[in-house]
Amino acid sequence: MFRILILFFVFFTLGSCSSPEGTWGWYVIDPSTKAGWTNIKFLVGGFYSTILLSIIAAFLSIFIGLVVALPAMSDNKLLKLFNRVYVEFIRSIPLLPMLFWVFYGLPVILKSMGIDANIDAFWGAIITLAISDSAFTAEIYRAGIQSISKGQTEAAKTIGLNYYQTMRYVIMPQALRRILPPLANQFIYIVKMSAFASVIGMQELTRRANEIVVTEYRPLEIYTLLIFEYLILVLLISFGVRYLEKKLGSNESANS
Amino acid sequence: MKNTFAVEIQGLTKSFKDFKALNTIDLNIKHGEKVVICGPSGSGKSTLIRCINGLEDFDEGKISISGNPQNPTKESFVSDFHIGMVFQQFNLFPHLSVIENLKLGPMKSLGLSEKDAETRARKLLERVKIPEQALKKPNQLSGGQQQRVAIARALCMEPKLMLFDEPTSALDPEMISEVLEVIVDLAREGMTMVVVTHEMGFAKKVADRIIFMDGGSIVEQNSPGMFFKKPQTARCKKFLKQILHH
Ligand SMILES: Nc1ncnc2c1ncn2[C@@H]1O[C@H](COP(=O)(O)OP(=O)(O)OP(=O)(O)O)[C@@H](O)[C@H]1O
Ligand SMILES: [Mg+2]
Repeated sequence: MFRILILFFVFFTLGSCSSPEGTWGWYVIDPSTKAGWTNIKFLVGGFYSTILLSIIAAFLSIFIGLVVALPAMSDNKLLKLFNRVYVEFIRSIPLLPMLFWVFYGLPVILKSMGIDANIDAFWGAIITLAISDSAFTAEIYRAGIQSISKGQTEAAKTIGLNYYQTMRYVIMPQALRRILPPLANQFIYIVKMSAFASVIGMQELTRRANEIVVTEYRPLEIYTLLIFEYLILVLLISFGVRYLEKKLGSNESANS
Repeated sequence: MKNTFAVEIQGLTKSFKDFKALNTIDLNIKHGEKVVICGPSGSGKSTLIRCINGLEDFDEGKISISGNPQNPTKESFVSDFHIGMVFQQFNLFPHLSVIENLKLGPMKSLGLSEKDAETRARKLLERVKIPEQALKKPNQLSGGQQQRVAIARALCMEPKLMLFDEPTSALDPEMISEVLEVIVDLAREGMTMVVVTHEMGFAKKVADRIIFMDGGSIVEQNSPGMFFKKPQTARCKKFLKQILHH
């Protein structure tokens, strides 16, 4: 469906190249020419890194977020404080400085601790995206879990369930429906923010676009394509999430 | 065991911030005894029974369950002398079917096999007279049915003591009796129980003792006969007048 939409848009804008004042130069990504086809293959090749980067970062963020969120619900003041400090601190750091800090700074710290770890662009980007996003996923978990009434936890206690069992069998299954949509939103955010990985040399969609722009000097066309590349990814995620939500929703339609 | 009390409370005091919800409560409950607690809203009835099973911690005093002193903050709810609880708002697990609600505790905390838990759960659904609802979700049931499921869920843990916190207050009038019947049956079978309720007909029928609370203290306690015939304090008289004329 959206493929048709894109074709339509492309033809429409292509049409304007023929106008005398037109500044379009779609030849750079014209698949019918050899050079154009090479460029397209190079640009589209960035999907692999962008997708892999985003998925790994999202999974890490979902995990770290949970680990950060659970202490917020404890009665222990110190654990609560840990949650607050982590969330407030991490979410206040802009992504780019954090990326530089992880990529250029973290290896120095590790080295001073005697660990000779080389953080490549791929993992540098993943660590940054995961940590920066985890502050937001943590808040999503917290809101979702706290929206489940206290009576549920109390009922679970009175039938002898421990903390883990209460979370696993009573709270999480109910909270998940409320957590999933905003979590998907975060995944879209990660996909888009993965573009920052380009500045440390990660060969993902944006980096590849930049490289072609430099050699061809056709920013408008190439960045237009780039935008559509992200659009496709985000739409795919949206469809996937809608499907998942429907499945979860119909399973638990008997829920209050 | 029989020469200890099921519940022994001495000098129990509990504050929320600077508000004293319970003020030096002394209360002993014998094995097999049925105690009804009543009193105006905010008098500390819920807080008292929630202290008994550890849902609420307390500041001062001592609580012993069947001779075992309890910590103010109770970390484990599993013990040989299990305490079951039924809430005003049922608190059933909405994402699980009725039978799954019943099986969860026995399987996860008592370690019963799925088969044994199922047998036990089916038996209890018979006992609360809704065996045919086993596969429904809680919100497909009437309020009265939901509360009976909640009672069955508590009984699945084979408790030695049952706490009821206004079990019929959230119910439509026509459903109250079906829930009370189940509790009366349970009382007849000898269960030790503490029931917070304003159903005075029920109290007359099953209570060995009625306790009247006000302002965080036990103001008066007596056998049902004496309690209704000769209330000792003005506060209790006023309270009885209010609830009996509604
Ligand atoms: N978690 C809490 N935080 C602060 N105050 C509380 C809390 N729980 C109870 N209280 C207060 O303690 C007092 C006793 O409450 P409790 O729930 O025990 O009363 P109750 O006798 O059960 O009343 P009701 O008939 O309305 O259920 C009330 O004044 C209430 O406002
Ligand atoms: Mg109450």
